[in-house]
Amino acid sequence: MSMPSVEVTKKQKLLTKKASVKENNVWSKFKQIYLGPIVAFFIFISIWQTVPVLLGLKHYILPKPTDVVNAVVQDWGLLWPAVQITVVESIMGFVVSAVIGIMVSVLLASSKMLERSIYPYAIILQTIPVVAVAPIVVIWFGAGFNSIVVISFLIGFFPVISNTLMGLNSVDKNMDDLFTLYNASKWQRMWKLRIPSALPYIMAGLKISCTLSIVGAIVGEYIAGIGGGKGGLGYSITVAAIQVKTPYLFACGIAAAMLGIGFYLLVSLFAKFMLRSWHESAMKVEK
Amino acid sequence: MVKTEREVVQFQQVDKVFNNEIIALSDFDLSIREGELVCFLGPSGCGKSTALRMVAGLGEATAGSVNVFGNHPKEMIKETNDIAFVFQDANLLPWRTVLDNVLLPLELRGGDKKEHKKEAIRVLEMVGLKDYLKAYPRQLSGGMKMRVSIARALAAKPKLLLMDEPFAALDEITRQTLQMELLDIWQKENMTILFVTHNVYEAVFLSTRIAVMSARPGRLTSLIDIDLPFPRQLSIRTDARFTEYVDLASEKLESGNEGRELV
Repeated sequence: MSMPSVEVTKKQKLLTKKASVKENNVWSKFKQIYLGPIVAFFIFISIWQTVPVLLGLKHYILPKPTDVVNAVVQDWGLLWPAVQITVVESIMGFVVSAVIGIMVSVLLASSKMLERSIYPYAIILQTIPVVAVAPIVVIWFGAGFNSIVVISFLIGFFPVISNTLMGLNSVDKNMDDLFTLYNASKWQRMWKLRIPSALPYIMAGLKISCTLSIVGAIVGEYIAGIGGGKGGLGYSITVAAIQVKTPYLFACGIAAAMLGIGFYLLVSLFAKFMLRSWHESAMKVEK
Repeated sequence: MVKTEREVVQFQQVDKVFNNEIIALSDFDLSIREGELVCFLGPSGCGKSTALRMVAGLGEATAGSVNVFGNHPKEMIKETNDIAFVFQDANLLPWRTVLDNVLLPLELRGGDKKEHKKEAIRVLEMVGLKDYLKAYPRQLSGGMKMRVSIARALAAKPKLLLMDEPFAALDEITRQTLQMELLDIWQKENMTILFVTHNVYEAVFLSTRIAVMSARPGRLTSLIDIDLPFPRQLSIRTDARFTEYVDLASEKLESGNEGRELV
């Protein structure tokens, strides 16, 4: 009769251990995941703060973090509207890329003939640097918002198309046979099989496209940006560069990066939501 | 299940050649009557899956003909729900719940949605998955996935059920349970079943008739009538006659693949 009692005490020990582990859980998780990056960040900032002082660099060559913060505070009235304008432009560019990209892909994938005849040109179009055609866009759409959205679209469009097409064409062979067996029509196959199985690919395309659409918007503003309170980050950057307002340039760069990260996180969240019930990429891993 | 003389599937001197060089099937001649449960037994590469896929209209014979209820299989799948296919992996759509997976064939054919749902629930009940309607395939075990796959095949009330090594990837215990259940369903649902396997025990346990095949080129080497009573229990595996059939099938399988002609 000694065996069971041994097991019971063992179990109890395990249970008490578990409880104490739980208490420490939050702190240990924090230590494991967040502490490292935070420490690294502060070390980096301190080095950045001291290097210009030690080397005697002028603030227009390498501004200190405090200079950048000052620039943000002082020029907030310029920076904030610029950020807002860039956000609207890139969202427009992204949405247009996504909608047109997915629609064109579905259309191309619906007919092998169509895909074979048109897709090569889509690739060629993609290899033309957008900066090279941007002036043409400006001639057609005029300087300002419209042209910038078009340029953002031109940059963000291709990843959506190439990913979506790849997804639509990589349907599992057996599932395809299943649809053949039940005499599915072309569009039933598209809606019930090809588009759902392409969803992870589409989401990957959107993730790439969303950061590119910000790049597109900023590049667009370099070329087609207009002042008078209607310029976005790209326009601010060109103006600040001419005036050698280096701390403000840093602020714009950091703002653009934060926009990119924020936008990417939002789209990732959307992707997770779309794939939550079935796809590996959206699963919580249980340990 | 009453056997009749009506022919469900007819292979007539079927040849199948892939890419002009690989002979998958050669001079394959076989007819299957209504209510039979025929196993295609053979090593991998003997063309048993190829033969099965042709019956489902998923492949065309290079020479000869395959008929299902007297028609071309492609016509059959276009016009009727009479043929259903169960794949080796469960082949469920991962973005659909169990219920929606079973509903798929009905949905593709169109018709009354309420009736569909009733029918789907009926077949899911038959395979013991009534409580998992809202689960996603990834939440199920291999055996449960296969049950859903079988339910999906049954949902459209087929007259001919084609199964391509459906239990090959399952563990022995699950496989035995599913074999029993399959026999149960076969007797209840008034079907003819064509079952591909490389497992001799499985073939003897399930079949009314075994078609033994050999590889390279894929040929039918012998037909064995399994005269064991239904319903079959697991205990039949220790029966002397069961063992005899297993020995016979193994022997045919072996000699067929040494290249000797048997039939």
